[in-house]
Amino acid sequence: MDSCLGVEQDLDKATTKFTGIHDHTNKILQDLITQVENIKQEIAKQPENEQLSEDQALLVSELAATLKQTVFQMSTEHRELHATVSRVGKSIDRHFIVDYAAVAPKAESFCSETNRPIMEQAIAQHLYRQGLEDVGDVFVDEAHIPPVERTCTFAQLQRCAAALSDGDPAPALQWAEKRVQELAHSPLPFTLHRMQALKLAREQGVVSAIEYVRKEFPAYASRHERQLQAAVCALAWCTPGAPTPPANYAHLLDPKALGAEAAELFIRESCAVLRLAALSPLAGAVIAGARVLPALHDIRAKMSHPNVIAAWADDELPLEVELGEDGGGYHSVFACPILRQQASELNPPMRLLCGHVISRDALNKLAMGVKLKCPYCPMEQSPGEARQIYFS
Amino acid sequence: MNEIKSLEHATLKVPYEVFNKKYRNTQRVFDVEARQVVAAVGDLDNAVKSGSTAGEINNLLGGMVEKLTTMKRKASDAIAEEVQAAFVCKKRLEHLKEQAEAIAEPNSPQNKTAMTQWRKVRLDRMIVDYFLRNGYYDSASKMADSRNLRDLTNADIYAAGAEVERELWARRTARCLQWCADNRSKLRKLNSTMEFNTRIQEFIELVRGDLRLDAVKYAKKHFSTYDDGQLEDIQHCMGMLAFPKDTEVEPYAGLLRASRWQQLVSQFRWEHARLLHPARLPALPVTLQLGLAALNTPQCYKESTKVSGCPACQPPLNSLASTLPHAHCSHSRLVCRISNKPLNEHNHPMVLPNGQVYGEKALKEMMKEQGSIVCPKTKEVFCMKRVEKVYVM
Repeated sequence: MDSCLGVEQDLDKATTKFTGIHDHTNKILQDLITQVENIKQEIAKQPENEQLSEDQALLVSELAATLKQTVFQMSTEHRELHATVSRVGKSIDRHFIVDYAAVAPKAESFCSETNRPIMEQAIAQHLYRQGLEDVGDVFVDEAHIPPVERTCTFAQLQRCAAALSDGDPAPALQWAEKRVQELAHSPLPFTLHRMQALKLAREQGVVSAIEYVRKEFPAYASRHERQLQAAVCALAWCTPGAPTPPANYAHLLDPKALGAEAAELFIRESCAVLRLAALSPLAGAVIAGARVLPALHDIRAKMSHPNVIAAWADDELPLEVELGEDGGGYHSVFACPILRQQASELNPPMRLLCGHVISRDALNKLAMGVKLKCPYCPMEQSPGEARQIYFS
Repeated sequence: MNEIKSLEHATLKVPYEVFNKKYRNTQRVFDVEARQVVAAVGDLDNAVKSGSTAGEINNLLGGMVEKLTTMKRKASDAIAEEVQAAFVCKKRLEHLKEQAEAIAEPNSPQNKTAMTQWRKVRLDRMIVDYFLRNGYYDSASKMADSRNLRDLTNADIYAAGAEVERELWARRTARCLQWCADNRSKLRKLNSTMEFNTRIQEFIELVRGDLRLDAVKYAKKHFSTYDDGQLEDIQHCMGMLAFPKDTEVEPYAGLLRASRWQQLVSQFRWEHARLLHPARLPALPVTLQLGLAALNTPQCYKESTKVSGCPACQPPLNSLASTLPHAHCSHSRLVCRISNKPLNEHNHPMVLPNGQVYGEKALKEMMKEQGSIVCPKTKEVFCMKRVEKVYVM
């Protein structure tokens, strides 16, 4: 936020100055034009073939001097704005990371002749999954990449979601009706019906909304009692000329926010029903990458020692980044709590008799002959009683 | 440090460069117009001093009014363009601020939706940017239109560049040279050889057309002032004059090959991006690479342990991820393979007698539905009693 505000300040300053100079030059030039025209009229009174009177000559020379000075001054005034303009650029450079790619030394290889088509295939796949078939077609054609699977289930889901974002729950409702069983425990059907009811209230009046509510809501009464009450209450503010609703209902009455939320829920739930990942591989990887980038920049800023910089040549991510609920967690990763290191086939996770899990290497190190004391609880056991377990 | 600060430099810097260019243009307009007016003032002065008639002076004053009106019109237009360019910056800044506000308070449900939406837009922006920088102009324009992103992407800023590229594909150099002239000072600062290479191409075309005398004249005009390191190329060019146009002698045959036009196009694309973007790579490959590295696990490469949702597991990205290091991980992060939900104190990890670990919730649900537990991996059947808890620190 700070970075945005910092740039905004300088940018606003520049905009104000430019708008100012716009009006200013317009006004000054208009003044000059009027002056010249006045003198012109003055001189036009003189017969054409005679010389100017002394007064007139003086007037014209004075005018000439003012003109010269003013236009130069205007040009100089504009030139002086250079500092303001370049301050905006410097402010952008200062508040944002210029060379964001420095922490991703391998990204270059993604643009090589062999890897680029692969990456572009992933882009095309993403476009088709988003339901952007027309863009995908143009792209496949323009980039000369092998065609990827064009129609898929996702495109249909995305179209339902896009309709939701635009405020139309009909396609999503249709989709959900076909899968009543699978959605029995999901909040999706109720959310969709609620959206439809509020839409009816806005478009056809509260009466038809109440009819709809009577028909559809009872099935959800037990599971969504509070939300149901709130939704029906919200209808009170749907009449034309209603006063501004209290803050609790503002959210329900904002079709745009409601649509966006429903779209997100729809994608999540429908993908769960179909056992698909909600994000395309490209989107999933990019979201994770965007999470990693600031963390890497942070430690890069802290590590300026030459020896430390050498660590960057090594091609492992130098730190662990929490990717958040939607950014990672596709695989189980077991890191041995004793050795603080990822388990592998050679060093698999072992479950001790007491249920605690450590890696085999740690187990061998902790075992004293036929005795082993669990590092986490008082239980003593034999190392032979530990069993290998599988997280993936 | 947050995602905006580390990723959005170019989003603001590119329209800023446009703004800066517009500023320079306007300054030029001011200088030229001011000089015109001053010249007219000089004429007027002389006329008054030499005692011209009122009619003549009147005419001169009429001319002056015209000049001032032109200046007013041109200056006004130019400044309006500057302000317009500044507003583009402002618009993007507003877009970034939206996300910055949401990041500041990431846990409210409204903000979550807003953030997901914003990230979607960010990916769309990244894709458009990638398209533009790789010359996929039609795709970029189509994508920008269908997602309503014209203001937030550089699709319009690149339009002129796309035009130059089309001209170069059609083997016409005029637009490219015009572009070089427009950006001369910046290109010079970057030690660009764009103009020189284009001139050489024009020379080659004269030789190809067997207009060798014209070629010599052209060389006299354009190659006589050369920079360091260009002499050898000039010598090759001049050497070419001695060979027929279908020669197989290198380097002359190479100069005459059609692929040189292609090189010219790629060079132009690169130089054009270099003027606008400080970072050499578009954001998409950078974030993609880091993301894949962060998601990369040894399990991504065995058929039996692949996960359908994991970006690094599935083609086509799988082959890209294989070249990357694995994610660093010092804390366990467990996921139930049945429900894809995280394993933690709310969804305890449970081990079956065959050693496979799954989530408690998924196993209970399976028990309710099927009356027994079938290990999804080995298809062995167990009863709930033989399932034990595991404790992962």
